[in-house]
Amino acid sequence: MRLPGYTTLKSAAGSLLERPLRTLLTMLGIIIGVAAVYAMLSIGEGAKEKILKSIDSVNARTMSIYPDWSQGRASRRRPWRPFSDKDVEQIQTLPGVYAATGDLSRQYPIVSETSDWNANVNGIDAQYLKAKDLEIDQGRPITSVEISRRETVAVIGTSVVRSLFRDQNPVGRRIKINNIPFTIIGTVTSSAGDNWAGRDPDNFVLIPRTTGRARLFGDHRLARNQVRGIVIVGESQQDLGRIESEVDYILRRARGLSADEAPDFRIFNFSANRQSYAKSQKTLSLLLATMGAVSLLVGGVGVMNIMLVSVTERTREIGLRMAVGARRSDILWQFLTEAVVLSIISGLLGLGLGYGVSKISLGTDNIEMLFAPHIAVLSFSSALIIGVVFGFLPAHNASRLNPIDALRHE
Amino acid sequence: MNTPLIKTENLTKIYGRGAAEIRALDGVDFEIESGEFVAIIGASGSGKSTLMNMLGGLDRPDLGRMFIAGQDLGQMSNKALAKFRNETIGFVFQQFQLLPKKSARANVMLPLQYRRPRREDEKALAEQSLARVGMSDRIAHKPTELSGGQQQRVAIARALVDAPELLLADEPTGALDSKTSTDVMALLKKLNAQGITIVLITHDADIAAYATRIITMRDGKITADERTEKAP
Ligand SMILES: Nc1ncnc2c1ncn2[C@@H]1O[C@H](COP(=O)(O)OP(=O)(O)O)[C@@H](O)[C@H]1O
Ligand SMILES: [Mg+2]
Repeated sequence: MRLPGYTTLKSAAGSLLERPLRTLLTMLGIIIGVAAVYAMLSIGEGAKEKILKSIDSVNARTMSIYPDWSQGRASRRRPWRPFSDKDVEQIQTLPGVYAATGDLSRQYPIVSETSDWNANVNGIDAQYLKAKDLEIDQGRPITSVEISRRETVAVIGTSVVRSLFRDQNPVGRRIKINNIPFTIIGTVTSSAGDNWAGRDPDNFVLIPRTTGRARLFGDHRLARNQVRGIVIVGESQQDLGRIESEVDYILRRARGLSADEAPDFRIFNFSANRQSYAKSQKTLSLLLATMGAVSLLVGGVGVMNIMLVSVTERTREIGLRMAVGARRSDILWQFLTEAVVLSIISGLLGLGLGYGVSKISLGTDNIEMLFAPHIAVLSFSSALIIGVVFGFLPAHNASRLNPIDALRHE
Repeated sequence: MNTPLIKTENLTKIYGRGAAEIRALDGVDFEIESGEFVAIIGASGSGKSTLMNMLGGLDRPDLGRMFIAGQDLGQMSNKALAKFRNETIGFVFQQFQLLPKKSARANVMLPLQYRRPRREDEKALAEQSLARVGMSDRIAHKPTELSGGQQQRVAIARALVDAPELLLADEPTGALDSKTSTDVMALLKKLNAQGITIVLITHDADIAAYATRIITMRDGKITADERTEKAP
């Protein structure tokens, strides 16, 4: 059995191959158009994904605050000033605050019975696990009683478990931090994807803040009731803006700064970044896609132009085909098929080219976006639509020719 | 034969309106039996081509009727006319009208592409048809690699490929030298002897002499219609 469209397809391919140079030139417009749409969308999306991913990894509801002496005029720069426990307590009572905790940490060598390892030691308060979204794997968390009694207990991250205990359950075992013995009461893993700024997120030891202050953290810049920074988690993303301004107010008052003075601290609100980034990225994507669409359109007009020339040149052929029995619809399909075959081949080549361009500009760090099927489908089907839309007029013209006049053409 | 293959009644084709009106065909009545070899002669502009286009279903009359192989052409849809041209008619043109980039066989296969239903043996049919016109050894040649006479043979093979009931040839030797013309006419004569009905248009009396019947036209009208019992 012969497929009904097979001959049409074959003769379309045949007549395109009969004029290779022209076919190639016609295709060029669409190839470039599709490549442009594909490359622009995938590069745009790729860049967006990359940044959003790294911003997302820091909990989207989290803000952090650190001292910052770089703001304001040079003559008015103030010394590095930490925050007090009272600041943290006040922030914890703000409406919309899910958790807030002070950051008090330092790198120490950790020594077990068999080996030693460097890790970040955090002196934690009762809200720390909640604020950092940490869940206990084995054992139990540090209680508030242990915090107030300055117990020498520790909860360790999985990287420390791996390095010091070869992944065996360390609960009940002992470690020494700066020669002070601690008993391990639990282990935790940070939430996945928390790897940010290239640091190992699970390489930490948590101990009661009070114990740390009394026996470890001897920083001359920190008083007994001070922390280096504050981490705040809102109930929802929408709360963060309001919380930010309230925190700003509290901290200015605590530090004796007026509302119009440059602050000596900085609030990092990632959710605000994320939203404004997403918005500007959307505009950029739209712009890029529009440019791609315009190049596709130009390609389409090219197809129409060449097809119109082709129909004129092949007027006698059309007349002959009608004389030997072609219906008007046969002629319409013949030319439409040529336009579509042209567009499909150009579309595929364009995808290849677009892929190459995105690969060069995205490099290897964004593999997912390179193969993004939705972008491929979008740019390919737009080539197809261009082929049908711009191929239709010439094909229609061809099918309306009068066979007698057509045979007499030239 | 009791019913003629072709029958026209008051066939009229008018170009232009009012003072500029031209009656390319002006009340043409005739019948042609199956198996005849008819030459239509007449001066340039006398309406020969108009008549042939009409008989071939490429054009429609403004007045009158015509029946070919039992079908009333005036009543047929465009689709039905396309089918009629495909199955009943074989055209031969003065300018051969071959597709220049295609082989002789591909050219001959062209009408089969529009046959419904399609035939399985299109290649074989095309080759048989080329054999019939003595072009078996040029199957893969393109028109540019063939002489004028050979091109016209390929064109005749194309007209014959799906066994039409009527071969219409409009000045088939008009673009050929006299030696080649003689060959082509001998071929048509042979095909007619094999039973194919031929209507041939020419303005050349020597060419018309191959036919068994000569119809003379002038200003869209038939002015003479005579049978020549003996052909050269
Ligand atoms: N499409 C047309 N428009 C106007 N006049 C036409 C057209 N086709 C043919 N004619 C006129 O009809 C007459 C017959 O033409 P035609 O059948 O081609 O004559 P022949 O083939 O005998 O030379 C001529 O006067 C010609 O000018
Ligand atoms: Mg003529």
